[in-house]
Amino acid sequence: MPRYFGPRRALFGLYQAAAAPRRAVLLCPPLGQEMIRSHRIYRLLAQALAERGHAVLRFDYRGTGDSADAGEGLSWNACLADVREAAAELRSASGLDAVTAFGTRLGANIAMDAVDTAQLVGVVAWDPVLDGGQFLATMDALQAHLLVDTSRFLRPRRDVDPHAEWVGFAPGDRLRAQLGDVRWRPGSALSLLIDSAPREPRAGHAIQQPPPRTLRIERPTSWHDLDAQEDVILAHGVVEAVTAHFQEGRA
Amino acid sequence: MNETAHRFGRAHHLVGIAGTPATPAAPVGVIVLNAGLVQRVGPFRLHVGLTRHLNACGYPTLRFDLSGLGDSGVDGSPRTRQEQVAADVTDAMQLLTSQSRCTRFVLIGLCSGAAHAHAMARTHPQVVGVVFLDGYAYRTPGFWMRHYLRKLVRTSPIRLLKALFNRVRRAGQAHDPVFEVGFPPRAEVAADLKDMLGRGLQLLFVFSGGASGYFNHARQFRECFGALACDPGVAVHYFVAADHTYVLGKDRAALTGIVAAWLRGRFPA
Repeated sequence: MPRYFGPRRALFGLYQAAAAPRRAVLLCPPLGQEMIRSHRIYRLLAQALAERGHAVLRFDYRGTGDSADAGEGLSWNACLADVREAAAELRSASGLDAVTAFGTRLGANIAMDAVDTAQLVGVVAWDPVLDGGQFLATMDALQAHLLVDTSRFLRPRRDVDPHAEWVGFAPGDRLRAQLGDVRWRPGSALSLLIDSAPREPRAGHAIQQPPPRTLRIERPTSWHDLDAQEDVILAHGVVEAVTAHFQEGRA
Repeated sequence: MNETAHRFGRAHHLVGIAGTPATPAAPVGVIVLNAGLVQRVGPFRLHVGLTRHLNACGYPTLRFDLSGLGDSGVDGSPRTRQEQVAADVTDAMQLLTSQSRCTRFVLIGLCSGAAHAHAMARTHPQVVGVVFLDGYAYRTPGFWMRHYLRKLVRTSPIRLLKALFNRVRRAGQAHDPVFEVGFPPRAEVAADLKDMLGRGLQLLFVFSGGASGYFNHARQFRECFGALACDPGVAVHYFVAADHTYVLGKDRAALTGIVAAWLRGRFPA
């Protein structure tokens, strides 16, 4: 059921119940256009998990999707607080105390950073952002190309600050500064890493201790392809991998 | 923010967000349809900003997902897509009536949403206004003249000769579709618009620079539809700087301002 919850009822979420839920799974979305592009796969994942007896909550951070506020006010700390609120909502709705999170791109980084505050028992991460500074540089470059893309605009948009937005979303100065400090630091809560990113070093190589399980999807996901920025993400194998992971009884 | 989330519809299969103003005073409710396959938030969250701004202006709104899109399911009935859309929008009107007591509606649609809004406005008695974002229009001699004049001015002679050669070479081949949404014949659309205006509907057409494959000047609407363009129920805006999906925040803000100003003028709160 769709609902607003949390302080000021500012967070939008969609809860999918199970009769006697085996596990509670919180789906943490990525940010910006990656969130809109991955909506379909989040819906498919939520359905697949609910059909297998798991209670699932999808939600939007404040300033994104259907949640309250404008995107310019988004901050990393607010996203962490939203994960905590969403986990509490999921506990309340499902009656389960143990919550596992699934996150994509920055959603994976946010979930991993929120493990302690949201008391998550596990994290499944899909293509986390390894280096926030590099991510910002990539998004800025994408935006700079977009502004002069004459297949999109009749005339190049030199009237727009290329650093003010990333493909349709204005991150704001605070979030930009915070993202510059983001590094992928997988902790012991990481239970599955799904790697389909073609252009960055594989996430498993960037850490000292490999996570318990890493699944490499050879067909790359086009996160940074300018021509694909309005295409739905259809990563074959991700839904199956995550549902199988939970069916095996892993956190 | 005064938004509520709903699962609604004849099969309880639709998901939408109703926004109600603090002091509802508007005579119409506004319903925003999906743009292509994008969920109800709209491309780059366009529909969220737009509906919240309209709420602040006093208009109740609903952004929702049509059957099979976004978070909505399907009702399982053997309907055509057009029948399904008509039933979905009727369900959406009932929901917004229950939330705001509005019984007359303005539909807003971008791209395929504009095509769906057109189909609804043809027949549904509760539709009193439509905002068509990159909706139906047709290439005219004026379109082609402007199109080639721009190419002449901007393109080197060698590239121009190559382009002409390629055009001649392709002349006998099948043509690519002009627009992803299928366009009915111009005469049919003109007859529909005439009928809508005869019933007193208010129509706003906004064409972006992203529609330059079939629309490239504000006066083209008149070239397409003749005297209909002068009807007091018609307003046309050519937003040449913007792209088709309003990727830039300043363009989304400008579009929101255009729609809000038109609503205030045609359906004052």
